[in-house]
Amino acid sequence: MKALFLRQSGAGYLLTSLLVASLALMYTELSSSMLAGLRGSLATALSPVYFLAELPWQSSRYVGDTFSTRDQLQDRALLLERRVLELSQASQQYLTVREENARLRALLGSRERLGRDVLVAEVVGVLPGADRHQLIIDKGHADGIRNALAVIDEHGMVGQIVETARSSARVLLISDVSHALPVQAVRTNLRGIVSGTGRLDVMELDYVPDSADIREGDVLVSSGLAGRFPGGYPVGVVSAVTTGQGQAFAQIQVRPSAQLDRSRHVLVLFAEPDLPEPEAQEQDTQGQDIQGSSP
Amino acid sequence: MNPTKGGWAILLTLVVALILAVVHLPEWWPQWLGWLRPNWIAMTVFFWVLAVPHRFGLVAAWLLGVVVDVLYAEPLGLNGAVLAVLTYITWSLYERLRMFSALQQSIILFFLLLLGEFVRMLGLMLLLEREAQFGFLTIALASALLWPVLRFTLERVQRGCSVV
Repeated sequence: MKALFLRQSGAGYLLTSLLVASLALMYTELSSSMLAGLRGSLATALSPVYFLAELPWQSSRYVGDTFSTRDQLQDRALLLERRVLELSQASQQYLTVREENARLRALLGSRERLGRDVLVAEVVGVLPGADRHQLIIDKGHADGIRNALAVIDEHGMVGQIVETARSSARVLLISDVSHALPVQAVRTNLRGIVSGTGRLDVMELDYVPDSADIREGDVLVSSGLAGRFPGGYPVGVVSAVTTGQGQAFAQIQVRPSAQLDRSRHVLVLFAEPDLPEPEAQEQDTQGQDIQGSSP
Repeated sequence: MNPTKGGWAILLTLVVALILAVVHLPEWWPQWLGWLRPNWIAMTVFFWVLAVPHRFGLVAAWLLGVVVDVLYAEPLGLNGAVLAVLTYITWSLYERLRMFSALQQSIILFFLLLLGEFVRMLGLMLLLEREAQFGFLTIALASALLWPVLRFTLERVQRGCSVV
């Protein structure tokens, strides 16, 4: 009986000191980046867990691919052929437009925008829970990935890197509640901020006046104004606009361009190497853009 | 943890719980199942503390919590604190809880996890500015519903690997 009592009182002290340790860890992590290394190495050690956790999903895709019928495969082949045609046509146009753009920029005296280095990464994990929108990719700081790099897929903006381990990194999706990025509409150059709602298929365009010229189907691209995201990548398409409810700002819903819930490969965009101050430079090029497009 | 007397079995079940905690369900499963994801780690800890209280201590629970923090990308120390408190409460009640039926244990587990998940949500709201969610309710409910099955399975493991 006595032993039991002693053990329990000791456990109370132990619990208290563990709680204090927890608070100390949380405080250290909030106020400095001392623990980033520890978290990174633990994440590296834990990557097999993600690999195993991903197996049911991967195998379900594999089974789906293997056992699709002949008709389905033919349909898909047709679809892909058509897509290749469309894309090759678009890329021919792109080449001429790019040359023309470079020429016009040279005329205007502005620096030619460099093509960005990209790195293809495979999605190896998703965070569980319907309210958390993060991906894990199979490239880490061993491949040169740093925090705050932008991530895209073949359709548009996916998110940004928020944590790197040695050979994996965590991507915060643009649809996460805590995420927002500056955009502009292609048709009108109207600027705004797209923020996540916690749903994969709907985002919101904030701070757009009720009277602004924006309508369903408008394509939004990243504006590059905050300096964190490069400009000009598709972010989403306006899917619904609600105005005239006595509010200062219109309620605008945006459908993401990227396939946030099914892309298997993503591209990590490296920042331009010769830009010491991305913010100032991005704003500068942005200014040039607007000047260049006005007649 | 002592590797003899079946310590590796405890470790293995915890690793399986970690994998289940982040498992990516096949794509034809409905999205809303994400809300009903039970807290496999806390349930496994609950089982081992009840079954072999002298083998699974507060420090082990806390260290496991740090691993969970990294796995979920949450502030370091948050899940450690929650798991240590749950372990402490279970530990101080284990002689009574052991005698309970699976159903009664389910009810206790429901309230324990309700407390734990609520504290975790508060921590996330304070530290990461997440919004309030009803996830803590559904997680506790799903865990309580699955408890009899998990208890049955882990009892088999305990007997098979003679964890004492």
